[in-house]
Amino acid sequence: MTVLGYLANGLVFSSIIVLGSIGLSLVYSIADFANFAHGDTMTIGAYTALVTFGAVGGLGGAVLGLPYGFFLALVVGIAVAAIVAVGTEKLIYEPLDVDSIGLLITSIGIAFIYRAVIQIRFGSDFTRFGIQSLRPIETLLPYGVRVTLHDVAIVASAVVLVAGLHVLLQYTDLGRKMRAMADNPDLARVSGIRTKRVKLWTWVIGAGLAGAGGVFLGLFNQLSPRMGFNLLLVIFAAVILGGIGSVYGAMAGGFLIGMITQLTPFFSNVVEALPIGPGWLATLLENLITIEYANAIAFVIMVVVLLIRPNGIAGEGAT
Amino acid sequence: MSFLDDPKGAFADLTRPERWVLGVSVAFMLFLLGALLTGALGPTYFLFLVGLAGMYALLSFGLNAQWGFTGLINFSVAAFFGIGAYGSALMTAESSPIAGGFNPLVGLVVALVVALVLALLIGIPTLRLRADYLAIASLGLAEVVRLVVLNERWLTNGSAGVRGIPSFFQGWPVLSTFPETMPGLRLVVIPGSPIILGTSFWQSLLNVLLVLTFAGVTFFVLRRAHQSPWGRVLRTIRSDEDLARALGKNTYSFKMQSFILGSLIMALAGVFYTHLNLYVGPGDLDPITTFYAWVAVILGGSGSNRGALFGGIVIVTIREGTRFLNDVALPIDPAPMRLLLIGVVIVAVMRYRPQGILPPQRELIWPSAVDDRGTPETPDSGVREQKGGGGDE
Repeated sequence: MTVLGYLANGLVFSSIIVLGSIGLSLVYSIADFANFAHGDTMTIGAYTALVTFGAVGGLGGAVLGLPYGFFLALVVGIAVAAIVAVGTEKLIYEPLDVDSIGLLITSIGIAFIYRAVIQIRFGSDFTRFGIQSLRPIETLLPYGVRVTLHDVAIVASAVVLVAGLHVLLQYTDLGRKMRAMADNPDLARVSGIRTKRVKLWTWVIGAGLAGAGGVFLGLFNQLSPRMGFNLLLVIFAAVILGGIGSVYGAMAGGFLIGMITQLTPFFSNVVEALPIGPGWLATLLENLITIEYANAIAFVIMVVVLLIRPNGIAGEGAT
Repeated sequence: MSFLDDPKGAFADLTRPERWVLGVSVAFMLFLLGALLTGALGPTYFLFLVGLAGMYALLSFGLNAQWGFTGLINFSVAAFFGIGAYGSALMTAESSPIAGGFNPLVGLVVALVVALVLALLIGIPTLRLRADYLAIASLGLAEVVRLVVLNERWLTNGSAGVRGIPSFFQGWPVLSTFPETMPGLRLVVIPGSPIILGTSFWQSLLNVLLVLTFAGVTFFVLRRAHQSPWGRVLRTIRSDEDLARALGKNTYSFKMQSFILGSLIMALAGVFYTHLNLYVGPGDLDPITTFYAWVAVILGGSGSNRGALFGGIVIVTIREGTRFLNDVALPIDPAPMRLLLIGVVIVAVMRYRPQGILPPQRELIWPSAVDDRGTPETPDSGVREQKGGGGDE
């Protein structure tokens, strides 16, 4: 594959990571804890879409190789993920009398409960949406780019959702309230913002985007009860790289981490081609920069960012 | 200690949750005893469960030394456990891709040294981080360790794992042949269903003695450490790190010491697991092991070693109980059932009893300050206050 091909793959994967990381970052800044159940919220979205799509079928026509029914399933997946998250907030997180570390530990329990319920219902095997997989787009093949129409649909939908979020945050009342609350919750409260309601909307938006990300992840790869949990750390890496609490940082971080993980085979080619000083260093790098370690590279980047720039690449000021 | 002299008084001295735990434990033991006597539970399998419980207790002790004492959110328990297991397995197994065939004691030492190095590698960068960042970073680094173990086939045999591990006592003077030389016993408790105690029984018995030794030594070392001035610094760091720093303590250094202590104990649990299970694979580094240990510690009560012991037993009950349920009553796959139970326990503990069931109380106080001839009735000594409102550290 050419560089362009890797970049195209990276773009598709990044779209999914961006959808996940925005929600995680929003909840991190407004509900003020690291939500370990976020990955499993994505799984909920994916499996809801699987069930809905199985029930409604194609509904006639198709856009970008995807039947109308799939888009309906996407919407239902987003809605159910949001409802489940709001329900969890109301039932579990809100009545808790613990600090943010306690909430973090609780969210691990919630993550296990989500995953266990899905696994009891659907088993632990891999499944796919009942959509025929497409051949790569012919006109792009000469450039070494192997993307299908489905991949184009994933990127386009992600762009629409992210643009919608941008408009919401910048130009609506709710968005202003959310930004105010992320900045300083106490100040937001004394200026008359109903912080509880804003928090609920945060859960709706964050979990909804996660649900969409989960559906696309299922379309991009396949579905399994562990899909979300496996991606969770990559999403954390993206959020931390972008700077916790900054939605635009999360977008940038998600984009970069998605690209880096998909570009790993390209990097390994580069390392092999480069004349690196001592032989042992070259061998070490060649062994470590391989596709098996794509995620590990993302995690190491995450730790390095935490150490040298805890506010992320887009972060401003100390918190 | 006063339990033997004055059982009634000692019982009255217990707090309500302590009595409750005692009651449940006694009932549970009677149930197990009944199952053993009627032959529903094989004695060898029972000893395997006891060994497993001891292993989880060790794991929880290790985590307790980090989270319970110092407040370090370490989500890389599975990495240290796995490194301990792999360290000893690679040294002792015949099929080991490197070295192999050494005495298990060499394996133990190597495993502990490797765990120490890993603790430094993970600890040096992450222990300066804020609590929630430490959680994420340590989980990420544990995942890196898992990926390395999975992919470096020349070192670890990859996804096939390591087989052919000898028992821990191989090469020891008497103990190495002890299971073979012991006669097979045949006990008839209920006529018609004899219980046969053969070689595997004696082997399991040795394993249980081993884990009891490990856990016992760890327990007393930790209790001593927790009460010592060193332990008091750790507790201060846990409740207010700035305060500890203002008192002139190098908190980073103390955190590192507690991190290393805990990691070594986790590696010890891994070493025992290797010789109990006789097979080690990359699946043993799955993050679920980390969360088993976490459930044990927060359920038992953060900072309490008794609690960690109790939590370890609960974890084995959940782990093996779901398997048992699956065989007997409900045909539900045990894996998600286990996950569900673990999740529910985490949420329930955080909701209803965030300090855990047996929060540390008198075990934090130097014994001579409390057991003043068995009459802790002087209110101005601060004893009562501690007893009533314990875990609000």
